[in-house]
Amino acid sequence: MRKILGIALAAGLALTTVAAAQQQGGTLVAAWAQDPVGLDPHITSARSSIQVLENVLDTLVSLDQDQNVVPSLAESWTVSDDGLTWTFTLRDGLMFSNGRAVTAEDAVFTYSRMLDPATGSGQAYLLAGVTSVEAPDDSTVAFTLDSPNPAFLSKLASSKVVGVIARESVEDGTINTNPIGTGPFVIADFQPGVSVTLERNPHYWQEGLPYLDAVELRIITDESVRRSALVAGDVDWAISIPAQSIDELKDRDDVVVDEVPAGAYWYIGVNTTVEPLDDARVRQAISYAINRDEIAAVATFGTAVATQDPIPASSAWATDYAPYTQDLERARELLAEAGVADGFELQIMPTTQYEESVRIAQMLQASLAPLNITASINTLEWAQWLEEQGDGNYQTFVCSWNGNIDPDDFFYAQHRTGEVFNFTGYSNATVDELLAEGRGTADAAERQDVYAQINRLIVDEAPYIYLYNPLEINAYRTDVMNYAARPDQAIRFVETWLDR
Amino acid sequence: MNLRYLLQRLGTLLLVLIGVSILTFAVMPLVPGSPARVRLGVQATPEAVAVLEQQLGLDRPLSTQYFSWIGGIVTRGDFGLSLISSQNISREVSRRLPATLQLAFAALLIGLLIALPAGIAAALKPGSTRDLGASVFSQLGVSVPDFWLGILLIMVFAEMLGWLPSTGYVPISQGFWPWFSHLLLPAVSAGLVSGAIMTRFVRSAMLEVLGQDYVRTARAKGLSERTVTWKHALRNAAISIATIVGLQMATLLSAVVVVEIIFSWPGLGSMALNATLQRDYPVLQAALLLFAATFAVINLLTDLSYLLLNPALEYG
Repeated sequence: MRKILGIALAAGLALTTVAAAQQQGGTLVAAWAQDPVGLDPHITSARSSIQVLENVLDTLVSLDQDQNVVPSLAESWTVSDDGLTWTFTLRDGLMFSNGRAVTAEDAVFTYSRMLDPATGSGQAYLLAGVTSVEAPDDSTVAFTLDSPNPAFLSKLASSKVVGVIARESVEDGTINTNPIGTGPFVIADFQPGVSVTLERNPHYWQEGLPYLDAVELRIITDESVRRSALVAGDVDWAISIPAQSIDELKDRDDVVVDEVPAGAYWYIGVNTTVEPLDDARVRQAISYAINRDEIAAVATFGTAVATQDPIPASSAWATDYAPYTQDLERARELLAEAGVADGFELQIMPTTQYEESVRIAQMLQASLAPLNITASINTLEWAQWLEEQGDGNYQTFVCSWNGNIDPDDFFYAQHRTGEVFNFTGYSNATVDELLAEGRGTADAAERQDVYAQINRLIVDEAPYIYLYNPLEINAYRTDVMNYAARPDQAIRFVETWLDR
Repeated sequence: MNLRYLLQRLGTLLLVLIGVSILTFAVMPLVPGSPARVRLGVQATPEAVAVLEQQLGLDRPLSTQYFSWIGGIVTRGDFGLSLISSQNISREVSRRLPATLQLAFAALLIGLLIALPAGIAAALKPGSTRDLGASVFSQLGVSVPDFWLGILLIMVFAEMLGWLPSTGYVPISQGFWPWFSHLLLPAVSAGLVSGAIMTRFVRSAMLEVLGQDYVRTARAKGLSERTVTWKHALRNAAISIATIVGLQMATLLSAVVVVEIIFSWPGLGSMALNATLQRDYPVLQAALLLFAATFAVINLLTDLSYLLLNPALEYG
């Protein structure tokens, strides 16, 4: 009976959805997992901050649901024949949320601040190769690069850390608490550990949007409490729910579980500068020792797809290179060739910040035991983990990269010799040349070929041991309309409305 | 009691607070991890870390940092800015202290409502079924972690029954029921545990008094059991109970840290924990200082309450 009622309700709901069209107003209460770590877009790299900024700032170009680059603040753009100058034309009538008109100078201010070493931006690498940003007139922004880079466009769309900000926020010192942008919402209040309140931006450039008056991001750190709050209807939307309760929630009539493969990957980072891990054969042996399907199943409760290379199958750039089917014999041979047949002691460094990193470490530890590799797990809280990892004080760590779109995003910063985010100390002249070639090639088919070669080299040499591509999973009440989980893990409430 | 005693106590309080402030300041930099790195996250270049540390004033000698911080508090009541969120700490603290105190007092009240009847009832008939019941309850209460209890209560009363909200806080200015319904579950989570602990103390304090000669004398005089219990025994047990209540209040202030996190309660506890994880030194120092001050004030009030409970006492 309940089921029938459910179906009847669902049918009724579908009818009202068509009839009601988009309703204006209301406050959406969203369960958020972590505090934003400051809101200065040029400083923070925390996902919890970037996902707030997603609703507050806008970029020149943006990504649609299928991860294509589409116009945003810029209505059009061109690239010069030599690939060195990118020119963007801004829309007419753009305004910041404080009511001031946006000009090309604001974009110049934004990107100049990001590139200025005195800002201390960790995000400046997104603009690597940019030698100047200029505003020839009020609606034109021109970037000059030192060498061609087809991935540049996707970097400008990658996330709201490259969103255009008002210089007032920087000048009056509120950039870290209340950055002023052109996005659909403004930050009305932020109580650390409790909530962030977003209110509708009355000057938003997209006619009629956003539908919601406000969004309250309530910080609920415990995932089972997030689930309960969603089921009880105290929150309308939840950023992530316990993976073990996904099936149960899918069976409910009042909750939607929205999942999509994310442009992210989890991996084991191997320090290639310390013995015996500096020998590629030892890293390969580790890669042969693990069962990725089991790791994906256990670490994420089955909400991820095991992989041996970084680019998810859903991406147009995916290649299917998978040499490492679990093979302990092969692993022993490799260890013997490397002169460590008797095994060695290995330290794995996960972090309490991400519980799945701890589960991965435990699986890895068990997988290595048959090879006489005695692994110890050193689980650190986030602040300490960042320090040890940043200083290279580790043998192996467990982490993920998120929000990658262009193939360059998957390899350049991570594996090019001497890059700041090349945490493993990996260095290979051929890879470096190919990475430069990938940036210097405009033709998509040729680029595909270059990145396939890079992919093969990195997988073979294993500075990163790839594990799985996660799903992005958001859950919400059925009266939350027009929201969609996104592969880039951006959370956008601009077109969302409440059917009440 | 005389003025000299009160001044003496206030002087001690001040010394304690100065000690706490120096200690927290000296210890924090020894903890691995830096606020600049936390803000920059995985994308921290060494250059960016250096620039940010300079902007945040973390490159100055520790003593300079300390005096500029303590100077701000003493002269302007200004706790400075958060190193992570850049928010005004004084403003944040003044919004949060009331929420924490409400939660702690509500939890204490619930604890007392459990502990006084249960403890007294158990002491009046040691070895009886009700005594056994009280000790089973207190054993259970002490063993159950409050975060687990909190999650359980949310599942039952918010999710299954839908009677109470799962998380959040509403100030009393927005109406009694909204305020009370949000307060109830977190207060019970913290209060049950403290009630369990206090039950034991109330029971043993009562038992001790009931075994005293003057209680036997009172009984021998033919006074009713009721008069003996309430007038003679309870009044004399009250001093030990007051001591326990004072100590419990202090314990509760730290217990609410966990409960605040579970229930998204906007108190000092969740602020302190976040600040610890993010190495937000000034925020943590402000929270610790306030905790220490509250603790010291409660201690003082407990001591003063002895005078009310037993006017024969004299401080000096």
